[in-house]
Amino acid sequence: MLQKFDDGLSDMRAGIGMWRVWVALAGEDISDQHRRTTLGPLWLLINYLAFAGTFVFVFRHGDSGATNYAAYVAIGLFVWFYLMETVNQGVSLFLREESFIKGTTLPLSVYIMRLATQVTIRAIYAFAGCLAILLVSGVDLSPAWGWSALGIIVIVVTTPAVIILCAFLGAYLPDSQFIVSNLMRLGMFLTPVFWMYEGAGGVRGAFYFWNPFTYFLEIVRAPILTGEVPICALALCLGIGLAAWVLALILFAWFRRDVVFVL
Amino acid sequence: MVSITVDNLSLVYRLRQPWSLSRLDRRLPGKQTRISAKGRHSFVTALDGVSLSLKSGDRLGLVGTNGTGKTTLLKVLYGIYEPTGGRVAIEGRVDALFNINIGFRREATGRRNIELRGLINGWSWQEIEEHMQSIIDFSELGDFIDLPLKTYSQGMAARLAFSVAVALEPEILLMDEWIGAGDQKFQEKAGMRMDELAEKAGIIVLASHNNSLLKRTCNKILKLEGGRVAAFYDNIDDFEE
Repeated sequence: MLQKFDDGLSDMRAGIGMWRVWVALAGEDISDQHRRTTLGPLWLLINYLAFAGTFVFVFRHGDSGATNYAAYVAIGLFVWFYLMETVNQGVSLFLREESFIKGTTLPLSVYIMRLATQVTIRAIYAFAGCLAILLVSGVDLSPAWGWSALGIIVIVVTTPAVIILCAFLGAYLPDSQFIVSNLMRLGMFLTPVFWMYEGAGGVRGAFYFWNPFTYFLEIVRAPILTGEVPICALALCLGIGLAAWVLALILFAWFRRDVVFVL
Repeated sequence: MVSITVDNLSLVYRLRQPWSLSRLDRRLPGKQTRISAKGRHSFVTALDGVSLSLKSGDRLGLVGTNGTGKTTLLKVLYGIYEPTGGRVAIEGRVDALFNINIGFRREATGRRNIELRGLINGWSWQEIEEHMQSIIDFSELGDFIDLPLKTYSQGMAARLAFSVAVALEPEILLMDEWIGAGDQKFQEKAGMRMDELAEKAGIIVLASHNNSLLKRTCNKILKLEGGRVAAFYDNIDDFEE
């Protein structure tokens, strides 16, 4: 068991050391996805702005009279798109990389880091749109934004662990690709991405409090919108991140060498 | 000193049917099989008690019908599969050509693929730049090098794959069948390059069904049957086509 952990950590170290490879491959992935388009990756920004604009105009009056609803949706969508992309792409990662995994000796962690880099690069385009909406909606830059930056760092650091968990799930349970993508679609409506919880309890309260995604949204959104530091949400996200890493390392150590036989 | 030592190698893996919501296939394997059942699980014995020893300059041909373990043995030597029994000791830098589509990106140009393969193999950008022209020249792709790989014929892709692999100057080169791709002229050129590699005290292991190619290229033959060594010809002249 200890030997497996040691081998798993060696794989991680070797993979992280090959940063040139995963950065280059992540860049290739993104340019492949937009190769034939005129606007290229700018479509990511347009896609984000189209969603954010639609939600703001459709729900601003009906759902909430909050003055900074545009900023609320902008940050919510930015974080949600990142999380959704991580989970959806992660669950099919090993299946997509089958030929490389079966034909090269690249450390498995290279694929993990490649996807983590890819989703981060894609999120940068949405981030540009998010910043633009924040500025237009009149949100002032304040020191509290530093806490939001910390929240983003917590999410980014948790990302490889989530990818590992999703990738093994997808490899060993192929049906999970469809289950997970449908759950994530539903999740957008069950998570306070564009709706606000105003303490009335009920079903909406249950979805707010028992949904872990809520807290990953809040650690980025609350400091910018309210200037408050969401200590509890931050602690919870750190705890979830730590648990995800522990579980991911166990799975990685245990199944890393076997995954080639299930693909 | 470049060498490969394989001692009583075995590879048994659990046939993991991915957990699925679809109906299980409960058909039993036939009698002539290497699939065994233990409890609720099935196991495949891919390699069983394989031993061999290769030293500098050896060119080993792997023969056997489909499914006898040739590719599996190559993948164990390359480090993709971890043996479940026995010992594998390899001295030397290894590279492999299993499939011309593996390790290459169809959408990227030939030049970009060379860069990516260089990075994967641990080259710096400067090293990639230094090798770039010689790889392009050897591949004879000319202006096609700046076109996407997906526009290449099988032979052109094989030329690129081989050119990159030999430019990496591996001390041990593992190849699986692929050499049949490419035209006669390139095959001869590739054969000469392999000779050079072997003469530089390297080792080549080539799996193929083409016995005349093996006789021309190799000096030793290992015949596999059912994952086991059926015969080992230390002298190529003893091997009957």
